[in-house]
Amino acid sequence: MKRILAAGLLLGHLGFAHRLDEYLQSTLVSVEKGRAELEVRLTPGVAIVPMVLAEIDRNGDGVMSEAEQREYADRVVRDLVVTAGGERLTPRLVSAKFPTIEEMRDGSGEILIELETVLRSDVRNRSLTFENGHMRQISAYLANALVPSDPGVRIAGQYRNSSQSVYRLDYVVAGAGSDWAVWGCAGALGLLVLGRVVLSKRAPKFLRRAALEG
Amino acid sequence: MKATRAIRIATLFCLSLTAATAQQATAKIVRAANAFLGTLDAKQRQSVMFGFDDAKQRVRWSNLPVRMVPRAGLTMGELSAEQRTAAFALLSSMLSRRGYEKVQQIVEGDEVLKHNERDNPMFGKDIFYMSILGTPSEKEPWMLQFGGHHLALNITIAGEQGILTPTLTGAQPALYTIDGKTIRPLGQESDKALALLNALDEGQRKQAVLNYRVADLVLGPGQDGKKIQPEGLKASAMNSQQRTMLMDLIGEWANIVHESAASARMAQLKAGLEDTWFAWSGNTTAAPGHNITGYYRIQGPNVVIEYAPQPLGGDPSLHVHTMYRDPTNDYGKKVTGK
Repeated sequence: MKRILAAGLLLGHLGFAHRLDEYLQSTLVSVEKGRAELEVRLTPGVAIVPMVLAEIDRNGDGVMSEAEQREYADRVVRDLVVTAGGERLTPRLVSAKFPTIEEMRDGSGEILIELETVLRSDVRNRSLTFENGHMRQISAYLANALVPSDPGVRIAGQYRNSSQSVYRLDYVVAGAGSDWAVWGCAGALGLLVLGRVVLSKRAPKFLRRAALEG
Repeated sequence: MKATRAIRIATLFCLSLTAATAQQATAKIVRAANAFLGTLDAKQRQSVMFGFDDAKQRVRWSNLPVRMVPRAGLTMGELSAEQRTAAFALLSSMLSRRGYEKVQQIVEGDEVLKHNERDNPMFGKDIFYMSILGTPSEKEPWMLQFGGHHLALNITIAGEQGILTPTLTGAQPALYTIDGKTIRPLGQESDKALALLNALDEGQRKQAVLNYRVADLVLGPGQDGKKIQPEGLKASAMNSQQRTMLMDLIGEWANIVHESAASARMAQLKAGLEDTWFAWSGNTTAAPGHNITGYYRIQGPNVVIEYAPQPLGGDPSLHVHTMYRDPTNDYGKKVTGK
């Protein structure tokens, strides 16, 4: 018979196999031209499930009603400060899926919240920042950008604080507004200046004549 | 001219030999699958078989214990000795020798956990599930799933191809002893990664080590087909020795599947190596003989590998989750179109 000597006996108690005292909040950001989607997965560890449930089941009747789910999802959205180019954005709640209370108590329950926000599409180099302040004292965070499905959008960089509660995504939209706007404005200005010079009395005669005849 | 022609003939010969070996492997697997199915009664057969495109069954896997995330199929505990032998012969036919040994060590580790947790029925080798999606065939695609707590093998067989993605391996305890022998089911994944990190120069290391904590798998269960923006150090900025070390590390996952499938997969991953990234987060040292407690990720055009120690219930070096994916071909979708 095999003699099993578990390392646990030597190295201390192992504990259970699932998340215990952290509220894992994982966000995936997907940027397209003119919009971004945020998928937030929230997984409470078994030790903090009562705290999270108390935030959802506000009347304490042991049921997460639709209204309570919606209210909680709205709170998660409000706790996310999303900005682009220094402007605060108001993401729209697209959907919210909740596990059963039993799944949450087991430690396998995952809340999935999907948001979307409109982004300015007239600027070439952009940054999208979010700060997740939802139940900060018990949370662990993950924040990542998905590789854009649109080849016209390129991720330029991702920056985070050490806990990933603050995240900035820099991206570039090919052929976006800034190119056209900048070169268009520069071109128009150039034409105005040229016209002024051509028509001024100081311009050479052949230029003035050509401008008036042509 | 003669030499070129000879090389061409030799290459063609090698290719046809490889294809023949792969086809032989598939034939052997199909025989083992039919032998296993032949040991089952009608009710068991109904429990173990699913449609190949059964979307619900495909994603019915997790790192979590089966009581928390229920699986479907047949558990090893409900099989007779003869049926279990046939089930493991099937599994063994689909895996390399080291791959099969690794799987056994993960399963055995769960038995150790059960023992540590005062015979907690949530754990143990009897509650690992096997299921077959589709009908075992040498030509038509089908899939074998084997898993439970800390293990989810999804092996798609499509003709001569064997596709192991997505697959989750994990271990708790990730270090234990049996009959005086120390076992670390995912020890090589830990040691080879640390050796690679230590082989980097200061500049490379600065790029590879991320300045933030990664608390868990980013692309764990439920994240099929997703591709995140890669970060860290690109293999194109590594020297040839470091690239060899990276390939060797990748092989800890790619070589779990049987040899001919693994060899094709390694060739594919080697072709994309220049565009493959290595990123690390957290502690950059480990106690001798112990696993690392830092997280790392390898990401290339056809692969995502994550190694995530879990600080749950104690020492993170003793509890590890890993994920192996091909976002372009999870469940063999690229090959089968389903």
